[in-house]
Amino acid sequence: MMTVPPEVRMGNQIAQQFANLPPAEAAAAIARHIENFWEPRMRHTLEALVAAGDDSLEPLLVDAVGRLVAG
Amino acid sequence: MTAQMDLPSIWDPEVDFGTPAIRAAVDTVSVTIDGRSVDVPAGTSVLRAATEAGVSIPKLCATDSLKAFGSCRMCLVEVDGARGVPASCTTPCSDGMVVSTQSETVRDLRKNVMELYLSDHPEDCDGCARGNCEIQAMAVQVGAAEVRYGRPETRTDVAHVHAVDESNPYFSFDSSSCIVCSRCVRACADIQGTFALTVEGRGFDSKISAGGTDFLASECVSCGACVQACPTSALQEKSIVQLGMPTRSVETTCAYCGVGCSFRAEVQGEGAESKVVRMVPSKSGGANEGHSCVKGRFAYGYAAHKDRQLSPMVRESIDDEWRKVSWDEAIAKIAEGFKAIQAEHGVGAIGGISSSRCTNEEVYVVQKLVRAAFGNNNIDTCARVCHSPTGYGLKQTFGTSAGTQDFRSVEKADVILLIGANPTDAHPVFASRMKKRLREGARLIVADPRRIDLVRSPHVEAEHHLPVLPGSNVAFVNAMAHVIVTEGLHDEEFVRERCEDADDYLAFIADASNSPEATAEITGIAPEELRAAARLYATGGNGAIYYGLGVTEHSQGSTMVMGMANLAMVTGNIGREGVGVNPLRGQNNVQGSCDMGSFPHEFPGYRHVSLDDVRGIYEKLWGRTLDPEPGLRIPNMFDAALAGTFRGLYIQGEDIAQSDPNTQHVEAALRAMDLIVVQDLFLNETARFAHVFLPGTSFLEKDGTFTNAERRINRVRPVFPTKVGMDEWEITCAIGRAMGYEDMRYDSAAEIMDEIAATTHTFSGVSFARLDEVGSMQWPVFDTTSTGTPIMHVDGFVRGKGLLVETVFVPTTERSTRKFPLILTTGRILSQYNVGAQTRRTENNTWHPEDVLEIHPADAEMRGISTGDLVDLASRVGSTTLRAQVSERMPAGVVYTTFHHPVTGANVVTTENSDWATNCPEYKVTAVQVGVANARGDEAVAQTREPAETHA
Repeated sequence: MMTVPPEVRMGNQIAQQFANLPPAEAAAAIARHIENFWEPRMRHTLEALVAAGDDSLEPLLVDAVGRLVAG
Repeated sequence: MTAQMDLPSIWDPEVDFGTPAIRAAVDTVSVTIDGRSVDVPAGTSVLRAATEAGVSIPKLCATDSLKAFGSCRMCLVEVDGARGVPASCTTPCSDGMVVSTQSETVRDLRKNVMELYLSDHPEDCDGCARGNCEIQAMAVQVGAAEVRYGRPETRTDVAHVHAVDESNPYFSFDSSSCIVCSRCVRACADIQGTFALTVEGRGFDSKISAGGTDFLASECVSCGACVQACPTSALQEKSIVQLGMPTRSVETTCAYCGVGCSFRAEVQGEGAESKVVRMVPSKSGGANEGHSCVKGRFAYGYAAHKDRQLSPMVRESIDDEWRKVSWDEAIAKIAEGFKAIQAEHGVGAIGGISSSRCTNEEVYVVQKLVRAAFGNNNIDTCARVCHSPTGYGLKQTFGTSAGTQDFRSVEKADVILLIGANPTDAHPVFASRMKKRLREGARLIVADPRRIDLVRSPHVEAEHHLPVLPGSNVAFVNAMAHVIVTEGLHDEEFVRERCEDADDYLAFIADASNSPEATAEITGIAPEELRAAARLYATGGNGAIYYGLGVTEHSQGSTMVMGMANLAMVTGNIGREGVGVNPLRGQNNVQGSCDMGSFPHEFPGYRHVSLDDVRGIYEKLWGRTLDPEPGLRIPNMFDAALAGTFRGLYIQGEDIAQSDPNTQHVEAALRAMDLIVVQDLFLNETARFAHVFLPGTSFLEKDGTFTNAERRINRVRPVFPTKVGMDEWEITCAIGRAMGYEDMRYDSAAEIMDEIAATTHTFSGVSFARLDEVGSMQWPVFDTTSTGTPIMHVDGFVRGKGLLVETVFVPTTERSTRKFPLILTTGRILSQYNVGAQTRRTENNTWHPEDVLEIHPADAEMRGISTGDLVDLASRVGSTTLRAQVSERMPAGVVYTTFHHPVTGANVVTTENSDWATNCPEYKVTAVQVGVANARGDEAVAQTREPAETHA
């Protein structure tokens, strides 16, 4: 019944909360939130989805994940 | 009667001063009573002053929990220079007053009056015989051994005989012992605020009545205030009749809701033979000040229920029968199992869940077990599914994850904004305080889709009821702030001096998209009504926000908490009595379990695990290297279990299979794990999936502390020894040691609190010894000279300046559709508590034997549903069957139920949606369809959802 991976659902939700901010600021805030609250294997799953080009991810989330990977 | 004179007087170790203390007095007056001088606050009654001076004046209609009434004529005194013999309860002290309480005149008068009382008080009054009737004590005190008018020999000989009302499961009413002093009527009105009782008839015919019916059928909410107030045994606990009077008492704290009432557990016997006779609310309790509700006062019998499990049990597979084993065998199996999982699947493959029903000390050691012995941060708590957004939202905006006020603060509120909370059911003792303030003139705004009792109840009526549609809270709170800011009603000085990011926020909130008109379709609120409510909150004096799970359990729960914090800050309603942002916490120790580091990203005191200095404190003390990364939250654990990377779980006192959303998903995750350990009083729903069961202890066996919704740390004291042979913190420590972490040892719960205080700045001044000395303390308690902090953020916010957050409304993805056209929202009822594990095992089932579905008449009619019909309730994830109750409390399009009964399994239909910041489930918004159930369907559901305990 749940076809969307939870990391996609939760990640997109976070991205939508910060969508009112300027894009760079939003991506930084999303990255910070995920870093503060997500367990590493969840982050790695999300990073893998981004690396695989999952098109269901919000662009701001993709940007944020890029920042996480870059450290 | 003389034969009874050696019996103990009514069991009440707390002194009754006769009339309430005067709190707000500026001046002190000196009076002399029977030659003794005493200084009291101006306005204090002579009766109270005399009691304070150690002079006992007889009384019957007076008690210090109620305003003076002046009817019984027992407390008469003479005052030098004054005419007559005034009642000391209604006579205020004046400076220099000289009072005689034992003159011949008043002694004769009292004796005569007492003879009249006794002339209709049966000689076989069982309360008198038992020492549970003040008449007996007063008769002795005034010397009324002889009754010139004769006494009825039995209760059937009194002037007006009525059948004893035994309808209430916990107390009886025998009017033959009643002296119609009105203490019960006044307690019901002034303390509880229900107004269920009255005096019928006049003169000798007068009689206490529960509104012309019996107690059970009346408006009575069984809070026990009338029983406590009754000076005779007319209103008496049935347990007193069954067990007799108590012989000792223990001061402790209720284990139900987040109000955290103090109680005196009155007990017979010692040690393992102890029996609780009754629970009496403590007048000295900071949270409840002598009041109680039907749960705390009466529903404690579950601790001795036959379903209680007292032995550890194990089984190889969840399809096997349980096998009772020794503690050593159970602990060894856990340790070996968890270590094997970690060896095969990694350190992060196991975790723990702590309970908000356990003490701070028990919770602290669970998070220590996970962090130090498991070596990861996979620790979470049931606050995840209730108030985790409060933790996030208030920390972001104010700097700490807690409410701003003490409960007493409501006495100074002028406008109460109640959002998504139903205190008369879920936090009844606080609701009584709130209702009292409302009766005094405070004004009320209720924002809730459901027409809760506070919208209109005796002597209370909300000025505005805003039936906010489920899922639209943030749009609503933004519209409130929009009105306040655009109409210039905000506190510019407070915003500029105390807050940061003010310009950005003010520009954001002033945008027309946040106006009541623009959001009316989303919120369902008429714009003019919302504007009027916003103006009232901003300009009506002290504005206090109280909220519950109707705020937090949404996809934007955290945003809504920040939105309410914004609202309080822009109006300057922070940092003094009567204002603030006040979460009404669900369980007794939700605040405490969060404080104790139960979240996977925070150590005790809300300090992030990535902070080197904080980790250093614990690494040095615990002797282990600690993980700097956040761990899994409960829903993440389920997802990881289904993904195969999370295989073992230690669950302390939580029933996640019943309380967490999307039951099928939860059960699939539990089935996927290799080792599940459940530590609980009962074989709960989750235990169906467990491999090891560890018996827990009830609150009557615990030694420790609970922290309530106002940050008040209260002592929990053992009334009798543990029934299972180990304290819960000892069990947790034993698991740690068996896994190789030898340092996990304490000699007592007090020693655990000492470790908490030594490592957590906000608890630095807390110890069992200090709590025993001062009663309770509200954190922060920064040192041993402090007795706590009732009001927070007085001169500045914990984070420095308050943060005004741009709270953008993002609609939930859960919306009504053609297939699921209604929205389900869930909540609680007064008599039951959470998943019902405790209250379902008491007589509280009398009031709520099953969960029902409330549905609006229009929605019911179009589906052919009548009250009492069994209906199918279906969402996109599951379906269940329950009985319908057609009700105009609900708006059209919204249905409501509770989740107290496992047979109903309301969470079978709730979904995986959750708060964006914390993963708190979106219990309050589920798209559903409702239809009349067919008989076969009902039977099938009943069979598949049989409660776990029937399989024990």
